[in-house]
Amino acid sequence: MAMLDHLALGFQVAFSLQNLLYAFIGCMVGTLIGVLPGIGPVATIAMLLPITFHLPPTAALIMLAGIYYGAAYGGSTTSILVNLPGESSSVVTCIDGYQMARKGRAGAALSISALGSFFAGTVGTIIIVLFAEPLTLMAQKFGPSDYCSLMALGLVAAVVLASGSVVKAIAMVFLGLLFGLVGTDVNTGAQRFTFDIPELSDGIDFAPIAMGLFGIAEIVVNLERRMTRSGAIKVSSLWPTREEIRQAIPAAIRGTGLGAILGVLPGGGPTLAAFSSYTLEKKISRNPGKFGKGAVEGVAAPESANNAAAQTSFIPMLTLGIPSNAVMALMVGAMIIQGIQPGPEVMTKKPDLFWGMIASMWIGNLMLVIINLPMIGMWVKLLTVPYRFLAPAILLFCSIGAYSLANSTFHVYQVAIFGVMGYIFSRLGCEGAPFLLGLVLGPQMEEYFRRAMLLSRGDPSVFIQRPISLGLLIATAILLVLMALPSIKRAREEAFQEEEG
Amino acid sequence: MSRLLSKDFLSGVMFIAFGLVTLYFGRNLAVGTPVRMGPGYVPNMLSYILLVLGLIIAGFALLKGGEQVEAPQLRPIVMVTIGIIAFGLLFETTGMLPALVALVLLSSLGGTEFKLIEVLGNIVVLAILCVIVFKVGLGMNITVLNGVW
Repeated sequence: MAMLDHLALGFQVAFSLQNLLYAFIGCMVGTLIGVLPGIGPVATIAMLLPITFHLPPTAALIMLAGIYYGAAYGGSTTSILVNLPGESSSVVTCIDGYQMARKGRAGAALSISALGSFFAGTVGTIIIVLFAEPLTLMAQKFGPSDYCSLMALGLVAAVVLASGSVVKAIAMVFLGLLFGLVGTDVNTGAQRFTFDIPELSDGIDFAPIAMGLFGIAEIVVNLERRMTRSGAIKVSSLWPTREEIRQAIPAAIRGTGLGAILGVLPGGGPTLAAFSSYTLEKKISRNPGKFGKGAVEGVAAPESANNAAAQTSFIPMLTLGIPSNAVMALMVGAMIIQGIQPGPEVMTKKPDLFWGMIASMWIGNLMLVIINLPMIGMWVKLLTVPYRFLAPAILLFCSIGAYSLANSTFHVYQVAIFGVMGYIFSRLGCEGAPFLLGLVLGPQMEEYFRRAMLLSRGDPSVFIQRPISLGLLIATAILLVLMALPSIKRAREEAFQEEEG
Repeated sequence: MSRLLSKDFLSGVMFIAFGLVTLYFGRNLAVGTPVRMGPGYVPNMLSYILLVLGLIIAGFALLKGGEQVEAPQLRPIVMVTIGIIAFGLLFETTGMLPALVALVLLSSLGGTEFKLIEVLGNIVVLAILCVIVFKVGLGMNITVLNGVW
């Protein structure tokens, strides 16, 4: 019954007044920013990272997780009410959610989305509890070479499943790895790429990069497009009809199952889950014609799926220290800044933080349903704030946040530089997420690589002699080969085109 | 000509440039041997991989062509960047308030619609909000206006 003990510990930590408060603040702020159009969860978390640095580690992570769910939740709201997805994982929700809203069922769509998400969040949390311990125990058997191969697999899988051009994304990973090496070399004390700037000797700070790459670049791209928006729809009754509930429940269960599985995969995450579950619903429906015209299943399934995946994508991050998507990379960055090295030791050495965070995920999901459904009117009002007011405000918060990292304007200039870089990346169709993953894993991967090579006396075959490492590398190779196969390549391109359209 | 302006070709060039830059600045880092790697071993290795990937991306783009780069609009990115840099410079010398005014003004100029009254209103609201949230609420060590508060 160790599991129940763990959960009890977790809830004890999460139910402390301070942590409840931070979970609440996180959910509210996350929803607030998630509702604002044009800013997704990654930008939101990047922007708010500095605020959490001054908190104790557990509270900081609880708040960040709250921001993540809140932002995702806010994204669904805008998808349904104004047909503007706040993030890629709620793009599918737009299709049927907005149609439901136009038919006067906006309230029902919002409730179904919220309750489906809550159900999925609950299941997701249970899955984390069940799998965390065995996975952690397995990870403790890993040697340096195994870790190195695991990271390679994680990076490749994230790239393959989550982005457009594979070669470009891989190049972005390597670029990120290189940026991660800036600073003092831990083994020799040599300064690498620091250009005699003292601030760089501890490495490039993670938060300004994330803010510049995601926050600033996103704002600039939005400023270029003149934001037009369809008028917000009035929300009447929040209660779904019995018929709608009957249709939603099985869809939500299927979405949850599919989302939970896809979330664990590196690079899977909420977006893939939402798209797959929508496709699944359409395939098995007796009446596929109704999709796109306000089908209840088209809201319930993807919304449950993306939330389940959002939960389970914490599993590789918490147990192995491997982030599976950009949001998790930000969480890893936040942990490192808090002085916690993500990996299997977190659970054994800091059980209160580990289980407290998991328990607070469930509490955060509950809070979102309880707080947000009644407040929907207020969020809708926020949607009417024009972008020309929002953009300067967001820039301002980013700049002050960057300054507050170390009470130094050096970080503010870094935000500006990485903003320009992020803008160039987005113009060239190079994605920021693989870069971020590489950046976060860079220093660790080098460390494990050097240690593995030292132990094997410079013989690289150590990576294929250890069974775990060999297995992981074979999996990596299979993934890469699969991507090169023409049939899969075509299917993949179609999937991404659908996503963009 | 059009192939040289495809997204893929330009990003290939960018990766090659990054690889060359890191090789150049890493030239004085000791590479060492595989057993005892110096600080330059991994950076060098990564730079070469990046160079190769850049060549592959650029090469394929030259052969097959690809999606064209959209003509960049310079105003938003330039105004936003100048705004943030002005914010940094003013923050240190004069305090948060002038920095805030400069950033909001400059970044508003980067947008498509600019109405002075609106921007001034935005500045007032944001100034009050920032003082309340950061100075009073979070108690951050920020100078609002140098010499005054």
